[in-house]
Amino acid sequence: MLQKCKVYRHIIHGIIINGCENMNKILIVEDDEKLALELRRLLQDNNYEAEILNDFEHALDEIISVNPDLVLLDINIPFFNGRSLLKNLRDVSNVPVIMVTSLLSEMDEALSIINGADDYVTKPYNPNILLLRIGAVLKRSNNASDTLMYKDLIINTSRGTIKRGVDEIILTKNEMIIFSYLVMHKERIVSRDELMTSLWDNDEFINDNALTVNISRLRAKLNTIGYGEAIDTRKKVGYILK
Amino acid sequence: MKFLPFLLDKIYALIIGLCSLVIILLIFMAFRVDISIILSVSIVLLVSYLLLFFISYFRKTKFYSDLTSNSKMLDKAYLVLETIGEPTFYEGKIIYDVLYEINKSMLENVNEEKRQNREFKEYVLMWIHEVKIPLSSILLTISNHKGKRENQIKRDLKRLEDYVNQVLYYVRQESAEVDYLINEVDLASVIKEVGLKNMNVLLEENILYDVQNIHEKVFTDSKWLEFILGQIINNAIKYRRNIKKSYIKIYTIRKKDNITLVIEDNGIGIPASDLKQVFNKSFTGENGRIRGKSTGMGLYIAYSLCEKLGHKLSIESEVNKFTRVSVTFYCNDYYEVIK
Repeated sequence: MLQKCKVYRHIIHGIIINGCENMNKILIVEDDEKLALELRRLLQDNNYEAEILNDFEHALDEIISVNPDLVLLDINIPFFNGRSLLKNLRDVSNVPVIMVTSLLSEMDEALSIINGADDYVTKPYNPNILLLRIGAVLKRSNNASDTLMYKDLIINTSRGTIKRGVDEIILTKNEMIIFSYLVMHKERIVSRDELMTSLWDNDEFINDNALTVNISRLRAKLNTIGYGEAIDTRKKVGYILK
Repeated sequence: MKFLPFLLDKIYALIIGLCSLVIILLIFMAFRVDISIILSVSIVLLVSYLLLFFISYFRKTKFYSDLTSNSKMLDKAYLVLETIGEPTFYEGKIIYDVLYEINKSMLENVNEEKRQNREFKEYVLMWIHEVKIPLSSILLTISNHKGKRENQIKRDLKRLEDYVNQVLYYVRQESAEVDYLINEVDLASVIKEVGLKNMNVLLEENILYDVQNIHEKVFTDSKWLEFILGQIINNAIKYRRNIKKSYIKIYTIRKKDNITLVIEDNGIGIPASDLKQVFNKSFTGENGRIRGKSTGMGLYIAYSLCEKLGHKLSIESEVNKFTRVSVTFYCNDYYEVIK
């Protein structure tokens, strides 16, 4: 059993967003206005509080006064280079930072990590993947536990179990990835594309049929603890937890 | 510089010298000069004449021999002036000065070309940087405003991004400057990144992305490797067969001193006659002609990048059966040093 725990902890990385706690505030440092607005919309649609940095000349002061839970920092910004801004920021704050750049290079990435970035994404980023990365970094910084709650269910992602009172069911890795993703985004409809991205991000390269099969197996297992109707299908859109 | 051609070159001087000697002798004889005087005068004349020849030969031979042999030996012949001393004789000085001027103007020209080339590359890099901003913006916009054509637009955006990245890596592999960084890289994570990037197309075309248990680590630049694998996967998708169970199988083969990453598909394959040329620049081959849309650059760039990183890219195929592309990572001393 101990062995199994270890495996799960490794596997489920990156999909646990602490959505059940207070909303996390993300600061967008990006000088392209249109892009920044779309990014804010994406984050807001996914239950984050998002703000856009206005004053690039006094970027550091603004970051500190906004006091975000995470900063999305573009490397190419006016006045300061994103990297030197990060360096200055690290002197005063430990806020998690994800660097954003359009020229993917190992050198850039290494320098950013040395300067204290928590992760690194390249433009154009797939929105689903960006959200996964944000979730993973926030989870690390919040020291979120492996336990999720949904109604009276206690979900242990690293052990792969769901408890309801004395009843317990054991999920496979794929089922757990799907269910925990649904739980973390329980307030909205989750598309198949998102579920798929989350699975592939955990090295489970399954196809459409397999996803359908996994979901029906998951439903069957949930049925045994009285939650057979929990996952609702919204035709052509996705799934939502009832 | 050889003596005989030198002598032949001076044949007119020899003839004039000999003629004047004969004339002098004839004059002496006409005046019935004593034979011993005739002899001594001719000896003095001959000796001084030969002396002139030899001195002139030896003064020149060092300069010209160095010039010819050094310029043959150097792989950059234009650097020859740096290897020889300035000559002490007049003709040599003229040649030396002219060569120096020619060299200077050639170098100025080359530097100007280099500067323009560098500026162009900088511009291309800047352009790539700029063009990715609207690309990101479009991608975010269509995700935020979901519509019918979302997947179609996303697919075209992916193609656009691929073409842009191809230019980026073409510029990178052409540059003399090193901008890669060798690190210990987890193969599985690179394969995952490439998979995520191609997920939508793979699912839409129902191609199985079959990654077998891979846990090796290799020394490489992860971004470059990601691009290389991306090119291989792109080709596997592009040249799939119209069958139900298309797959891309990815696995590793571990040997004593190397690790080979194999990407195998069951696509249309490559004719044997084309197989040797697929890594050549701008080669499109039969498949490219049939399916169109081939620039012939993807595999060429991938191959060049592999060469720079010290990996080996190779390919096997059988028409209508499989294509198997292998990237071999050597565990040699070079990487030991970097460790």
